[in-house]
Amino acid sequence: MTRSDELLGRAKGGATVEFRQVSKHYARSANGQPIAAVRDLSLVVQPGEICVLVGPSGCGKTTSLKMVNRLIEPTSGQILIDGVDVMTVDPVALRRRIGYVIQQVGLFPHRTIAENIATVPELVGWPKAKIRARVDELIALVGLDPASYRDRYPSQLSGGERQRIGVARAMAIEPPLMLMDEPFGAVDPIVRERLQNEFLDLQRRLGLTVLFVTHDIDEAIKLGTRVAVFEQGGTIAQYSPPAELLMRPATDYVARFVGSDRALKRLAVMRLADLRLSPVSSAGEGPVFSAETNVRDALAALLLAPRAAGTVVDSSGVPIGVVTMETIASAVQPVAASLE
Amino acid sequence: MTLLGAVWAWLTNSVHWQGSDGIPTRIAEHLWISGVSVFIALVVALPLGLLIGHTNRGALVTVSIMNVGRALPSLAFLAFALPASFALNLGLGFWPTVIALVPLAIPLMLVNTYAAIRGVDPDLVEAARGMGMRELEVLGKVEVPVALPLIIAGIRNAAVTVVATATLGALVAGGGLGRYIVDGLARQDYARLLAGAILVALLSITTEVAFAVIERLVVSPGLRLDRERLALPDAGGAR
Repeated sequence: MTRSDELLGRAKGGATVEFRQVSKHYARSANGQPIAAVRDLSLVVQPGEICVLVGPSGCGKTTSLKMVNRLIEPTSGQILIDGVDVMTVDPVALRRRIGYVIQQVGLFPHRTIAENIATVPELVGWPKAKIRARVDELIALVGLDPASYRDRYPSQLSGGERQRIGVARAMAIEPPLMLMDEPFGAVDPIVRERLQNEFLDLQRRLGLTVLFVTHDIDEAIKLGTRVAVFEQGGTIAQYSPPAELLMRPATDYVARFVGSDRALKRLAVMRLADLRLSPVSSAGEGPVFSAETNVRDALAALLLAPRAAGTVVDSSGVPIGVVTMETIASAVQPVAASLE
Repeated sequence: MTLLGAVWAWLTNSVHWQGSDGIPTRIAEHLWISGVSVFIALVVALPLGLLIGHTNRGALVTVSIMNVGRALPSLAFLAFALPASFALNLGLGFWPTVIALVPLAIPLMLVNTYAAIRGVDPDLVEAARGMGMRELEVLGKVEVPVALPLIIAGIRNAAVTVVATATLGALVAGGGLGRYIVDGLARQDYARLLAGAILVALLSITTEVAFAVIERLVVSPGLRLDRERLALPDAGGAR
């Protein structure tokens, strides 16, 4: 078994990724001083997590992503995938085992959809029949009809369809790790929302580890298991789960970056089941919510309800409590307080 | 008799369609000289163009040299080619002509090939590399197929130029359709001269058409669709 087989060679489930004090310098300023694109980056991504790198443009998030598959090589520090330093692995073998999706999708215009998806399987020498079956499986997996899409060319697809094929292509050999650089950036908000939901669903089912770059904090909060907020100069200001980022921004910079509406954003990542609900009253009036409803949607409904109260039921329809404006307000108070 | 009538009479005279000075022989010679020249230029220009296009190294130097080459008149190449051919003991006619045509064709192919490869969307190249293609695979599976329409356009330009210029070969005792022009001039036989010129023009146009057919056959329909889609909004649009 070669070193690259060993790396990412496990059959199923996601990989662990670890950045150890990784820096990247470019020597190009007028006085010859090296410019840091990424400075002393350390973070760990557990198997099956989506780690979102978010920040303004030029903050080093894309550079960090590209160092994982060695499109860019670090100046110092180590990046380990399942404990193996990527710099010790042949870059070509490494990349063939890591899914890679970029914003512009990069579908090959001269190849059909089937040929595009087959790119990596062909590179690693899968038999033809296996490739054909896998291609159809993947087109269906991203919600398109294999029979009518297989032989089309990228120019015959809409923006959203191209993004889906881009994701399908990156998943062709079931990589335990996906690198995604603003993969949903080039489509309209409605399509983006649908693609995000489908991707989340897919990612959870397959247990992939994902490194995801975006400049959109809302996307980061929605998709991230953990979110790394980058600031200018290539350092991480905070690395936490989205709820914590919203509730306890580590610095003023993070607070500004997540936005003054972060109380509302926080509601979007909480479920009614997470709230301290009032006991069920005999009245039992108002709208009925599933316990899985996100608090933001519940709040929107309560604002329109006559008595500003609603009943929360569990998955079998049994009432488990009552949600009111007060219940919701008390859940976000810490956030409101920290705004001062 | 008008000159055009004389040309027509010359062209339709069956005597001119036979023997070593007949039209079929001259066309065959012309195509052979042109074909050999284009082939040699291709062997030199294509790999070099692909290499500097892919690596972007040595591009400035190469393109500058090529542009100087392009500025030189073909007659000058022939003037250089003749002594070179003698020095190499290759004699008159065929080889001096080829030696003059090859440097004419190389810049057209090389500069186009280089520009075509450089023109490939960098995102495609990065996607290819990011998926684990080796450099040769990036070039062969992505850059060349995507750049193919422009690469072929360069070869077509070169081939048409070579077919038109191969006429000069007659000045150094070569064969080809240029014979009719040079001999026509020398004998003040203007019907012959003009017939030769017309045949050269027809052969150039045929070459052009042949390359259009080749392009149609080897370029992916995906790229054609791409171009048509891009071209559509312009059709009839206000400029």
